[in-house]
Amino acid sequence: MDRGHPLRLGLVLEADAASPTALREEARRAHERGLELLSVRDAPEEPGLDAWTLLAWLAGEVPELTLLALGLDAEQRPPAVLARAAASLDLLAGGRVELGLRGSAESLEEALAVVRGILDTSLEGPLVLEGERFELRGAQRGPATSRALPLWLEGPPELVGGFADGWITADPSQAQAEAVDAAARSAGRDEREVQRLAIVRGGASSEDWAAELTALVLEDGVSTILLEGAGPELAETFALEVAPALRAAVAVARAASGVRVGIPVPARVRARRRPGIDYESLPEGLEAVEPGDPRFGDLRSTYLRGGDPGLVLRPRDERELVRGLHFAREQRVPLSVRSGGHGISGRSTNDGGIVLDLARLDAVELIDPTRRLVRVGAGARWGEVAAALAPHGLAITSGDSGGVGVGGLASAGGIGWYAREHGLTIDRVRAVEAVLADGSLVRASATEHPELFWGMRGAGGNLALATSFEIEAHPAPPLGFAQLVFHAGDFAGFLERWGAVVEASPREVTSFLMAGRPRPGEPPVGQVMVAVDSSEPETVIGLLEPFAEIAPLLDQSVRIAPYSAIIAGPRGPHRGEGEPVARSSLVEHLTPQVARAAERVVLGGAAFFFQIRAVGGAVGDLAPEATAFAHRKAQFSLVGLGPSRARLDPAWDSLHELASGLYLSFETDPRPERLLDAFPPETLARLRAVKDRYDPENVFRDNFPVRG
Amino acid sequence: MDYRHELEFGSFVTPSAADPAQVVHLAQVSERAGLDLVTFQDHPYQGAFLDTWTLLSFVAARTERVRLAANVHNLPLRPPAVLARSAASLDRLSGGRVELGLGAGAFWDAIVAMGGERLSPGESIEALSEAIDVIRGVWDTSTRERLVVEGKHHRLDGAKRGPAPAHPIQIWVGAYKPRMLRLVGAKADGWLPSLGYLGSIEDLSAGNAVIDEAAREAGREPGAIRRLLNVGALPGGVRDWTEQLAEIALEHGVASFILGSDDPGVLLAFGEEIAPAVRELVARERAARSA
Repeated sequence: MDRGHPLRLGLVLEADAASPTALREEARRAHERGLELLSVRDAPEEPGLDAWTLLAWLAGEVPELTLLALGLDAEQRPPAVLARAAASLDLLAGGRVELGLRGSAESLEEALAVVRGILDTSLEGPLVLEGERFELRGAQRGPATSRALPLWLEGPPELVGGFADGWITADPSQAQAEAVDAAARSAGRDEREVQRLAIVRGGASSEDWAAELTALVLEDGVSTILLEGAGPELAETFALEVAPALRAAVAVARAASGVRVGIPVPARVRARRRPGIDYESLPEGLEAVEPGDPRFGDLRSTYLRGGDPGLVLRPRDERELVRGLHFAREQRVPLSVRSGGHGISGRSTNDGGIVLDLARLDAVELIDPTRRLVRVGAGARWGEVAAALAPHGLAITSGDSGGVGVGGLASAGGIGWYAREHGLTIDRVRAVEAVLADGSLVRASATEHPELFWGMRGAGGNLALATSFEIEAHPAPPLGFAQLVFHAGDFAGFLERWGAVVEASPREVTSFLMAGRPRPGEPPVGQVMVAVDSSEPETVIGLLEPFAEIAPLLDQSVRIAPYSAIIAGPRGPHRGEGEPVARSSLVEHLTPQVARAAERVVLGGAAFFFQIRAVGGAVGDLAPEATAFAHRKAQFSLVGLGPSRARLDPAWDSLHELASGLYLSFETDPRPERLLDAFPPETLARLRAVKDRYDPENVFRDNFPVRG
Repeated sequence: MDYRHELEFGSFVTPSAADPAQVVHLAQVSERAGLDLVTFQDHPYQGAFLDTWTLLSFVAARTERVRLAANVHNLPLRPPAVLARSAASLDRLSGGRVELGLGAGAFWDAIVAMGGERLSPGESIEALSEAIDVIRGVWDTSTRERLVVEGKHHRLDGAKRGPAPAHPIQIWVGAYKPRMLRLVGAKADGWLPSLGYLGSIEDLSAGNAVIDEAAREAGREPGAIRRLLNVGALPGGVRDWTEQLAEIALEHGVASFILGSDDPGVLLAFGEEIAPAVRELVARERAARSA
């Protein structure tokens, strides 16, 4: 009976050491003739070419063909290393590796568990397996592939049915096949999860041969057929005569029977699905990563927050994003939106919900050189943006890390190294393209949907899915960048003096201050970073001098570097754990009271990380009502990360009493009064009006919601 | 001390799994830069790295001229008979471009985590020595003699020989301590330490002395053993580098310099500017010393 698996045909190459050139030619011909697979049989005790080496080399020589290692011997090759090798080749070759294992019945089951365990990067934590034959004590998983590698077995039916993705058999006879199916069912699997592979050696005439193979597919449920031990003539007949006839016959039969071609999602993946998400009706073509997917480990969490969503959708363009949004709206689970996943408030992942991950909307394009107008995809990271603009001599002020994504920052604020000179990132935004909650595409600017444009600069997460921003860049010659480390024994005084120097500095100076809880027995240490927008060493040094006098210097470094080098940041996936506890305050000045309250937070150990960023300067040039970020008088943004709410909140609350507001991207406090801190009453009222017009059903409510 | 080997220059590229295409690209850049060698570290317990053997095999197909080696293989997780056949296979497939870097293993917790066996330092050196016998035995198809290796850690009893490599594959060993250095002198074709792990440049001469003595004891010419060195970016400009490397070559016998860098610009400069300059300087000085 036809099992409806995709039909694939290929060759088993003879790993003959005599003629590498002939092997390459044979492989290339197989590709040209339209076959889908190449396979090599492992025989580690024979003096032929090593099967894995040959397969990896072929992957580099021949495009597109799927590469199947047949009968890899788990006794001769440590299975954990073998699994990494397979994942590596899959990554190098672009996702076309399949693995066939063999071994004694006792070792094979264990070897399979090892291989699956190493390959399963969707699980957290290292791999521990205590087998009789193989014992793993905390092996790292990975590298992560973009899909689950199919594992094929030739072995006892119970093992094949219980664990394998495919059954390699010389005898797909009824009794054997039934045993495999029965084993699959008793393991809770859909028996169609197990594909069947037959190895053939030739047929009488090409017509008879095609008919035989057709029967293999339609009656015995085989879908992968490999020709082994054939000379060049037989291989040619197989590829050019038998294969077309076989494909045609199977297509006709499948059209008549209406069988759905595909491979069911494995039970071990389905078992990890979350309630409330209709996985069966996912939009076709849209990249969807569910918890059992090997990519899940790289996508579940954000920079500071461990997540466990039920589904991550990764659209490539606006159309896919709209389809993803429609799907997400029909599910009764939380919805998070992610650009770079760096956000300190950690809102871009969830537990059991859906994440719309915009990472692939990451184009950076200079669209109008005379106006220095740049279109930036919401999924790009600021480090990439800086690198893309550097050759044009331009930059866009962003944050202090290149790992931060565009969308979250450019719709909330953006306090970066040019803040005092060029304002917030949102102040440079000239238009936003976005998908509304109902799926329609809009462009918002000063003249198009102006109220939405107003709201998208400061509270974008409440209103729409921004897909790209048009931002006015500024000329960016290399700038001075200093890192100064101070003995901050008089911590409050240190903060005050730093604040005074910042306020007295011209706008080309922007400075951030960082401190942590002092180590036991050691004095507090303050780290000050200063960006000076000048390429002239004398100017830079001159503007740094007042900073050097605020406290005894322990260490210093100054360089003149391109913005792209200063903002260069991590590119890899995020692996945050737990829940971030962060508080934010905006203040006009670092008054003695503010400084003392901050000192209590830091020295008391309520925050293990504390940072103040200079705002002021050009940030204050805009009126409070110009954007949904209203705090234009604030000259300093304070943030603290604490070990727990119970520790941080009491200390921070007394500091926050002196604040004029907060920056929502750095805030995790769920208490309702924080909303008015982020949005003063007039801003909030206006924002709610915009919200009611553009997202009346409150679809976007996961990040500082203005409607509860 | 100068053993007067022909100078070679190579790269040491991080086998990062995060961007496999970039790793392959850096190997191709090395080739384009005129470097003789591309090498990759081998830490099979590292989930963030590409499997080194697989990477070497893939890169062999994507390069034409440059020679390839692990720097160095983790022997406790690479069974030597399979490694021998794999190396010979890739040597045949690549037209004789493979060399074999071997290490006794370090990071034993990680090795054990992967299912490997924990060995004491002494045992691991013994195992490496036996592994070299296994590897050379598998490669040697010139004899019909029964292949027997009676080791404590590795045994062969009548295993088939072959395939034979396309060229005499060199076995380079990463070594720092006396016992390992003596093994290099007795059995290896090259010594491959990293400058960063040596205490100082002077340790090269001390190591050379141990190796040379062990070689003579084993009835070998010290000159039969190539001295290689992994270096990181050196301070200073092209001229400083050239002078430092030439001095290391002439005074400490190093003939292969392998630069650890993932920066295409640095690799190009190393191959196109520094390597020819060092070659010229060393050739001039060797000629002067001969005269």
